[in-house]
Amino acid sequence: MMPSRTTFTSGYISGLLWRSGIRYHFRRPWLYALSVIGIALGVAVVVSIDLANNSAKKAFLMSTESVTGAATHQINGTGRRLDEEVYRTLRTELGIRKSAPVIEGYASKPDLSRTFQVLGVDPLAEEHFRSFSSQQAGIELSTFMSGEITGFLSETTAEALQTAPGDTLELIAGGRPYPLLVAGLIQTKDKYSRQALENLIIVDISTAQIMFGMEGHLSRIDLILPDDEAGRPGLLRRAYPEPSSTRTGSSTDTAERLEAMLPDGISVVRSGSRTETVAQMTRAFELNLQSLSMLALLVGMFLIYNTITFTVVQRRPLIGRLRALGVTRGEILRMILGEAFIIGLPGTILGLTGGILLAQFLLQFVTQTINDLYFVVSVQQVAIAPLTLLKGMLLGVGATLLASLWPAREAARAPVRIVLQRSEKDALLKKNIPILSLTGLLAILAGIGSLFLPEETIISGYLSLLLIIIGFSLVVPLLISILASLLHPLAGLAFGLPGRMAVRGVVADLGRTSVATSALVIAVAAAIGVGLMVDSFRVTVDSWLKSQLQADIYIQAPGFSTREPDAGLNPELITLLREAPGVSGSHSVQRTEVQTSQGVDRLTVVETDRESTRSYQLRKSDPGLWNRFDNEPVLLATESYAFRNGVTVGDTIVIITDRGDQDFVILGIYYDYSSDTGLLTMSRMVYDRFFQNKIISGLALYTDDGTIVETLMSELRERSAGIQNVIIQSNQGLREASLEIFDRTFTVTIVMRFLAVLVAFIGVLSALMALQFERSRDMAVLRASGLTPAQLWGLVTGQTGVMGFMAGLLSIPLGVVMAAILVYVINLRSFGWTLQFQITPEMLIQAMLVAVTAAILAGLYPSWKITKTNPADALRDE
Amino acid sequence: MRHLTLLMLASITLGIIVIGFWLLSPPDSEKITAGASPVEALRGDIEGYYRAEGPKEFEFPADHGPHPGYRTEWWYYTGNLFTENGRHFGYQFTIFRNQLSPPDADPIADPNPDPIADPNASPPKNQTSWATNQLYLAHFAISDIDNKEHKYEERFSRGAAGLTGAEADPFRIWMEDWSAELDADASSPSEESLPVTIQARNNQIAVNLSLNPAKPLVLHADHGYDPKGPDPGNASYYLSFTRMLTSGTITIEHTDYEVSGYSWMDHEWSTSVLGKDQAGWDWFSLQLSDGYDLMYYQIRNEDGSLSPYSTGTLIDPDGNTIALGDGDAKLEERENWTSPHTGRVYPVRWHLSIPSQSLNLEIATFFPDQEMNVSVTYYEGAVHVEGIRDNEPVAGYGFVEMTGR
Repeated sequence: MMPSRTTFTSGYISGLLWRSGIRYHFRRPWLYALSVIGIALGVAVVVSIDLANNSAKKAFLMSTESVTGAATHQINGTGRRLDEEVYRTLRTELGIRKSAPVIEGYASKPDLSRTFQVLGVDPLAEEHFRSFSSQQAGIELSTFMSGEITGFLSETTAEALQTAPGDTLELIAGGRPYPLLVAGLIQTKDKYSRQALENLIIVDISTAQIMFGMEGHLSRIDLILPDDEAGRPGLLRRAYPEPSSTRTGSSTDTAERLEAMLPDGISVVRSGSRTETVAQMTRAFELNLQSLSMLALLVGMFLIYNTITFTVVQRRPLIGRLRALGVTRGEILRMILGEAFIIGLPGTILGLTGGILLAQFLLQFVTQTINDLYFVVSVQQVAIAPLTLLKGMLLGVGATLLASLWPAREAARAPVRIVLQRSEKDALLKKNIPILSLTGLLAILAGIGSLFLPEETIISGYLSLLLIIIGFSLVVPLLISILASLLHPLAGLAFGLPGRMAVRGVVADLGRTSVATSALVIAVAAAIGVGLMVDSFRVTVDSWLKSQLQADIYIQAPGFSTREPDAGLNPELITLLREAPGVSGSHSVQRTEVQTSQGVDRLTVVETDRESTRSYQLRKSDPGLWNRFDNEPVLLATESYAFRNGVTVGDTIVIITDRGDQDFVILGIYYDYSSDTGLLTMSRMVYDRFFQNKIISGLALYTDDGTIVETLMSELRERSAGIQNVIIQSNQGLREASLEIFDRTFTVTIVMRFLAVLVAFIGVLSALMALQFERSRDMAVLRASGLTPAQLWGLVTGQTGVMGFMAGLLSIPLGVVMAAILVYVINLRSFGWTLQFQITPEMLIQAMLVAVTAAILAGLYPSWKITKTNPADALRDE
Repeated sequence: MRHLTLLMLASITLGIIVIGFWLLSPPDSEKITAGASPVEALRGDIEGYYRAEGPKEFEFPADHGPHPGYRTEWWYYTGNLFTENGRHFGYQFTIFRNQLSPPDADPIADPNPDPIADPNASPPKNQTSWATNQLYLAHFAISDIDNKEHKYEERFSRGAAGLTGAEADPFRIWMEDWSAELDADASSPSEESLPVTIQARNNQIAVNLSLNPAKPLVLHADHGYDPKGPDPGNASYYLSFTRMLTSGTITIEHTDYEVSGYSWMDHEWSTSVLGKDQAGWDWFSLQLSDGYDLMYYQIRNEDGSLSPYSTGTLIDPDGNTIALGDGDAKLEERENWTSPHTGRVYPVRWHLSIPSQSLNLEIATFFPDQEMNVSVTYYEGAVHVEGIRDNEPVAGYGFVEMTGR
């Protein structure tokens, strides 16, 4: 059977159009390459952030999973320790065989700046839980159980560390050195377990107790209870009992019954519950990074839009002829979209590759931040998630098609005769300025409106940010025209005719310049917004640190993450330090964890006196706060805690104490920027009434009037030598160290900001190149009329400089608005922090410089190209 | 000597050491228990451990307790118990102590040798109760004679942190919730006497038994010193209560049976026992209807011959002992059984004659499959005895332990 004639024709024509499109791009390889790079960068940023986030999360989940093993439930004490007597009871009295004692901790190898998770187990109890640490796996018990510091690590880790069985690893745990004898290697069969065990050192319970000062204690007991069913943490059930009819029997009941048999303060919870809580902590952090990465893609979309618009405008005569020849609108539309696809696909593929590489680089920043703020995780390599790649693929191609949809429709819709005219597009745009501006204003209003949506989510915050950005970019042409009419006489006064021509040029080619300028405006505004937000944040944190840090010297045992409870200070050392000559006063701090009605919460236990109470900047408080603080079951909560848990002054929180469940009343909400998950603070005197844990993890010392802080510090160092490695910092030193962590936290943000500007730079470059190519004939005329190459160069550079100047100027209001939204909306909704909004003029000037420089740089190549062109050739072109 | 199960213990340790180390892998493929040979285990390093080198004065109750420094030690309870209706059960409850490193090696090294440590600063206190060189094993089995079913379980635990251990005064040997403890209520006519309550349970089987010695403590061989070979030190200290009145409850699949009968208790400790050419053993504990008890074991050499160190003890109804030496007894195997679980071959019917005592006995297992397929495979089974002593018919019950071939 013959193919029908229509199919044949349309197939032939679309093939022809396709080839024409490809040839069109190949004749302008630079432009094509820049578009591809633009989309590639956008995709790369999105993909890399996603990969870095996911790798960190996956590493965390895998290591927790491997450490949790087959356990269905776990027994927890108050804080992160429980009396080993509970395990003895479990085994010798209750006969619960599927139970395994666990001590978890961290040890570092400072020379490699690597942190290892140390898992203390009883290999004889491991059989049902973790195959790799069970006696059946072949652990040599005679040295393993002997209390010597011996351990197992995975084969791949040993390879990376270049150690072999029999070697000694110099580890630091809780500020003390422990040479760990590598007793053997865990051979892993598949990639999954290799990654899961990558950072694990397995030691005996006895070894772990010694290393972490946990004598007589365990971190938890793992259980396999029959009929694994979802149970809720015991305390929640006890605090808010479910109606008995909804109970489903089985392990939930078993867990409850078991809990009832154990002493007060001991809870039996489902194994995954803790992991889930911890994994969720980074959600806001991840979302913010993702949103920032989308900004780069958004800028990339402007770039695509710009390129496609240019190609459409330039081929207007060709499209007109094709339409006159009978090519349908649909075919034109498909042709333009097909061409966009030719940019989008390689751009996306390049972006995916680049994203994987970039992720490798970003991973260290992301991991560092997670370690500083949330939990200890060590990620050695990027886990390439197919889903992320697919997402990047769809985003890249989708963004390209979306960005080119408008110019493609424009080309397809135009009637034949108009298309034959040349610069109709610009006329159209100028005509459309009122409509565009109106739409833009509406979008901005919608964006502002969505800030006040009743449901205050982070997503809606970003949505409003997006609407404002897009709206603003639609108003940009109008603003440029206004700016140009203002600048025109000024430029004339300053630079004479070339100056006026440069300004005029921007307006004359508004169709193309406005898109390029918009891209630059958005990128620079993003830089301003993020920069101002970070600045505001930093200023807030700095002033908070100043008020929070009242003592002269701070001492603490080294820890691994702000989230981890600190190791304890040696009690003898505490006395030695407190009694050092020159110390006029001191108070202690302990950072620990408690099980509360809200979940597992961090608790700071403090000794207070008149000095230290002043350091709390209270946002809200009960008038009797300080009178009751040392005597009653009351608490302080940080702003972020109150935000996360929706509690306020006067609310009650149930805490599992060593004496059972106890109600604590929140008497104050205070500003704190040390944790986005929030903290509770309790008086040491109150804590000691309800808990047996006597650990002190930090000391704050006040000096006598005549004592020099540095002298005292070296005295304190001498006193602690040989007892425990502790961190001794002056007020100033601690403040600087804290700010350093702060800056480290935002490194990734700054990298993102830079990338967005880079995409914008490429956008401007490609827009200008396109523009100058199109104007090569005009330029040739100018050359022919006697303009020297230097003058021409000045004209082109002047024009791009004007664009940059305008972009810089326009980006300031948008940037400030973005910063305000980030500070007042996104930050608050993500973390619950109140920040002091700061507008630093340096930031604005800097943004202006970036915009102008980027634009001038982008103008260099096209102007060089034009001055190199022989005007006669250019004139002969058509 | 008896329960050379000790060897199995030692081999478990060795198995852990040998197989383990670099072979960490999922448990299904690397059971440390797989194929361990009890005899191979004996070639373990005995350097630095205490040795049984000659008779000694025992002190009680201290010597009922553990003897750390010797590599292996066990407390072995077996018995044949009956319900009022005559339903018959055999039971075994054993706790093994296994020392992982010689006593002179300090098990707890300084965890924190800090070269720059201030000598005046107090060293870190090492209070972990988990560090140990004592590994314990426990075997618990019930032979349901009527149903020909043998159910058993093996457990491991460290002898530390109060989880598992052995204590002399008051006597208590326990592995988690399995224990044999001094029965404070029972009449205790002498220091040596050791009435106990045994409690053990798992998902299938449980026992709760009171055991009261009906005869005084027996010191086997040379006042409790029992050489196993020509080399000095290849010997054990071996004590028994050969007849203990037993009553209590046996539970099988949630059904309780009130039972009574006799138990036999062995307590033996040593560092090395088998010589180089010795291949395995067959051991019997028999309680006869005329009030006599008989312990007899023979050690088989690699070449199939019998070791001259095969010995036994005959205990009369009053507890007087007659030591049996090389050549005093003759054991003939009458029937073999091949284990479907391990492929090992065990005799299940014998003829034992001790001419000097005018004793001729036919011994047979109640049913063949009483193999303990645990970390080291052996056989521990209830037997019945019929025969003639001084022309008078005798009968009885007992247990046999074998390494098999």
